[in-house]
Amino acid sequence: MTDPQTIISADHLIAGYLPGVDILNGCSMDVKEGELIGVIGPNGAGKSTFLKALFGLVPVREGKVQLRGEDITNLKADKLVQRGIGFVPQTENVFPTLSIEENLEMGAYQAPKTYKAQRAKMYDLFPVLGKRRNQQAGSLSGGERQMVAMARALMMDPSVLLLDEPSAGLSPDRQDETFVRTRDINRTGVTVIMVEQNARRCLQICDRGYVLDQGTSAYTATGQELLADPKVIELYLGTLGADKDDEDDAGAVVAPDATTEKSE
Amino acid sequence: MRNADHAGPKARHFPLRIALLSTLTVAAITVISAVPAQASQLATEVADTAGGTETNLLLQNLLNGITFGLLLALASVGLSLIYATTGLSNFAHGEQVTFGAAAAFAAVTAGAPILLAAVFAVLAGGASGWLQDTVLWSQLRKRRIAPMQQMIVSIGLALAAVNLLQIWMGAQRVRLSTSIEVRYEFGPVSIGPQTMISMAVCIVALGAVGFFLQRTRLGRATRAVSDNPALASATGISVNRVIRIVWIMSGSLAALGGVLLALYENTSDFSAGARILLLMFAAVTLGGLGHPFGALVGSLVVGIVAEVSTVFLPTPDLKYAIVMGMLILTLLVRPQGLLGRKERVG
Repeated sequence: MTDPQTIISADHLIAGYLPGVDILNGCSMDVKEGELIGVIGPNGAGKSTFLKALFGLVPVREGKVQLRGEDITNLKADKLVQRGIGFVPQTENVFPTLSIEENLEMGAYQAPKTYKAQRAKMYDLFPVLGKRRNQQAGSLSGGERQMVAMARALMMDPSVLLLDEPSAGLSPDRQDETFVRTRDINRTGVTVIMVEQNARRCLQICDRGYVLDQGTSAYTATGQELLADPKVIELYLGTLGADKDDEDDAGAVVAPDATTEKSE
Repeated sequence: MRNADHAGPKARHFPLRIALLSTLTVAAITVISAVPAQASQLATEVADTAGGTETNLLLQNLLNGITFGLLLALASVGLSLIYATTGLSNFAHGEQVTFGAAAAFAAVTAGAPILLAAVFAVLAGGASGWLQDTVLWSQLRKRRIAPMQQMIVSIGLALAAVNLLQIWMGAQRVRLSTSIEVRYEFGPVSIGPQTMISMAVCIVALGAVGFFLQRTRLGRATRAVSDNPALASATGISVNRVIRIVWIMSGSLAALGGVLLALYENTSDFSAGARILLLMFAAVTLGGLGHPFGALVGSLVVGIVAEVSTVFLPTPDLKYAIVMGMLILTLLVRPQGLLGRKERVG
């Protein structure tokens, strides 16, 4: 029996896109209610595949995904949305020919009665979206699209939010904004599982991190512990940030960190 | 100020658009004033029988073009919606149009009045769309068959369907209404009541499709599925249900188009839809593939260009060649079609 506090658990997932080619080779994870989880790992470790397997977008061949103890393995995405899981893809995460407002309406497609109230909440959370509600989402910048995508995923008031590399392709200050916003969303009680390339920034804000390697969850610890772990530093964080000799590079990496510490 | 960042490119295009518009206006005025003189001999003959008023050949053809364009739009809007939501170029859509005429003809033969026959055809068309998606297209999608392979399947289906229709309707031409067409004069143009009713039905039906897509939740979900089916599914929209509804709508609209086309041309046969299939593709591509209103705009342009060109062409047989030529030119200048939008990247 799973821990009553456990909201999502993945048990030895084996999954892949093509028959015979497994990307995940026994990946496990236990997430407690209200946690902010960061999933890091090198390119090709299966981070995004893991997130997609949780959300039924990649067929799970073996293993089990549970939501509050109920088996949700391989359920269709629309059923998972109904059960309170939201997903924000990394790219192509808005409907380009629909307006911002229509994008949000689609987010509440399964619960049209709550649409207006949720929309008002989203415009509070992302005021810029409210001001530009009739603008076509296809004309927005990457950062703005990311906001629309997050707002759309939050329209169903999910208990779990899955984010696939929310900072990818954004400028450093926009990346910071995204991380801070993710933390804010998590503080309203939403459990967040985020996959990130930007391991350092991700571990700084998350409660707990999972390190994925070659399709298995190598280990887990709190964000701070992983940040200090020499093996993680060597393999995934790089030593650039600690390199005091190269001032330019060190500055580039350290500066955004400093801003977030202030804002948190 | 929300469009502030677009002001730049818009301002740059502005003089170009003005120049283009003025050139077109001047050309149109020149042509309209020149044609009656040029075609006066032909026109006078028509005018004599009509009792004095001179028929303006150009305006008459323009009216015919609009009528044909509206019919084409009705027939092809389903083609466009199916392409938009599933990526399939459905070559069997012409038979869907013929099917409407055939169903109406069967009902008329059984003694039903034409109005009832049209309603029956629309219902039968919708049912055929539902059936096709249930037993064939949804199964292909489930097995992740690529749009190209699906298109080949649709060509096979078209060949099978045209033969089945020939068995059903026979090889001869059929007429839905045997009443003699009277024509009303409106200044320089004349129009029959059947055509007027057809136009009105087209406008109401196309307006309803527009209302559905823009103003209803399901319609907006349909546009969301056209934009990105995977994202629509991840958002909680039941994509297969939306596509099923698109197939039903598409079948009904094509059938209605088939009935009205049969009334407009005052005849129909087993290959009536197949004859306009390429025109429908041209219209949809010209308007902007997958754009909800692309089919309407493209069809009107195709209809008008085809009919008006007959005024200047040595033989009317060339009119569809002119349409295809125009399609190629348009795509060279505007690859995304008239209404298609280039999307911002990044």
